Amino acid sequence: MSTLKVDGIRSNSATSDAITLASDGTCTANITNNLSNRNIIINGAMQVAQRGTSTTTNGYLIDRFRSNLGGLDQFAFTMSQSSDAPTGFRRSLKFDVTTAETGGIGSDEYAGLRYIIEAQDVAHLLHGTSAAKTFTLSFYAKAYQTGTYAVNFYVGDSARIYNATYTINQSATWEKKTITVVGDTGGSGINLDNGHGIYINWFLGSGTDYTSSSSALNQWSNYQDASWAHGQVVDITSSTNNYFQLTGVQLEVGSVATDFEHRPFGQELALCQRYCYNHEIQGSIGPYAMQYEASHKFVHDFFPVTMRAQPSYTITYNTSSPTPYYPSSTHFKAYVNSAYNATSTIYMSSAIYFAEL
Amino acid sequence: MTYTYKLLGNHTGPGIPANTPIDYVLRKEDNLMIPKDKANTDYQEYLAWVAEGNTAEEAD
Repeated sequence: MSTLKVDGIRSNSATSDAITLASDGTCTANITNNLSNRNIIINGAMQVAQRGTSTTTNGYLIDRFRSNLGGLDQFAFTMSQSSDAPTGFRRSLKFDVTTAETGGIGSDEYAGLRYIIEAQDVAHLLHGTSAAKTFTLSFYAKAYQTGTYAVNFYVGDSARIYNATYTINQSATWEKKTITVVGDTGGSGINLDNGHGIYINWFLGSGTDYTSSSSALNQWSNYQDASWAHGQVVDITSSTNNYFQLTGVQLEVGSVATDFEHRPFGQELALCQRYCYNHEIQGSIGPYAMQYEASHKFVHDFFPVTMRAQPSYTITYNTSSPTPYYPSSTHFKAYVNSAYNATSTIYMSSAIYFAEL
Repeated sequence: MTYTYKLLGNHTGPGIPANTPIDYVLRKEDNLMIPKDKANTDYQEYLAWVAEGNTAEEAD
C-alpha cells in the first residue's frame, strides 16, 4: 500500500486547487455537483401543483411560482403545468398568451413570473455586510420569441435591486440560462425572519416606466421604479403566438451553476406545504367535528408541516360553517353549535390553506 | 381584481370569554378567511386596503 502525499490537486488550467489537503489529515474540496440541500428554490422542477394544473387568473398555480402582471388591459393568458420539459425534467410552467394587449404593452404595464424566497432561507447570504456571498441562479427556458429578457433580484427589507438579462437564442427550444450575482455589500441586508427575502422576477414584457433606468446592469443599487424591469426587450403581450416556459430553477451559493438538485417528491411537497397545504379529502368526507361540551363541537385539522405564518383558508363543510378559533401555523380549529345528541354529523368537505409570501 | 372585506364579530362559543373578537376577516369575493396575523400576506393586503381609506363591512 502506498500513500500519495500532496498539499493540493488542481487542473493544469486552473488558478486554484480543486482539493486542498490540510496538515491535520482533513481536506476541503470544491465539488460542483451532486451535493445535497444546495438548491434554495423549492419546487424548481415544477412537479408540485396543489392548486391545480391550469389557471387564467393572475397569481399562484404551480407551488411557489406565480404570474405577476401589472396594469394590463385586454391581455389574457393561460398558465399551466406542462409535460413539455428539457431532458432530465418531466414538468414545466407554461405561460401562454390567449389575448394580446392591444397595441402592445403600455408604458405602465408589465408581465412576468415570480418566486419569493423566505428571508430566513437567504439571511446566510449576509447581504449588507462585507462578507456578502455570491449566488447563482440557473434555469431552463423555452419561448416563442427570441431576444433579450430581464430578471431582477429584489430585496424588500433593504429596497435593493439587481438587474440582469439573458437571451433566448432559438424559438421553441429549451435553453439553460445562468446568472451569477455578486453578494450585496450595500444596503441593510436581509432580515432573519419569515418575511420576504429575495424576489426573483422573470420579466416577459414591460413598459418604459419600468425599463428606463440609466443604471448599469449586473450590479446592486437602491430600488427605483425605472429599474424594475431594466433590460427587458421582448414583449410577450404582443401576440397570441407567444408563450414562455420555465423549469429546472436553482439558486445556490457560489459562482457555479451545478447540476439541478432533484429532491424526492415527498420532500419537495413538504417544503411546499409550508406555504400552501391542500388537504386532499377522500370522498369529500374529512375531519369530523367532535363534541367538546353539551351543545358544541370542535373540528381540528392538523397541518403536516408548520406553515410559514397563520394561514388564510377556504374550507367547505357538509353543513353550516364552524367559527374559527385561535388560528395557528400548526393547525386549524373551529367550533359549531351542535347538541351532543344531534343526529347529523358535521365534517369538512374540502380545505386549502395559504401562507404564501 | 379588487377585493372587499367583512368583519366577523365576536365569539359566541361556550368556554370562550365574552366579547372575544374572531381573529379573522372574510375576503368576500372568494370567501377566503384571513387570520389577523401581520405575517400573513393576505392580511397585509387587507391592512393596505384599509390604509387607503376603505372600510370593511360590519359583522352580522
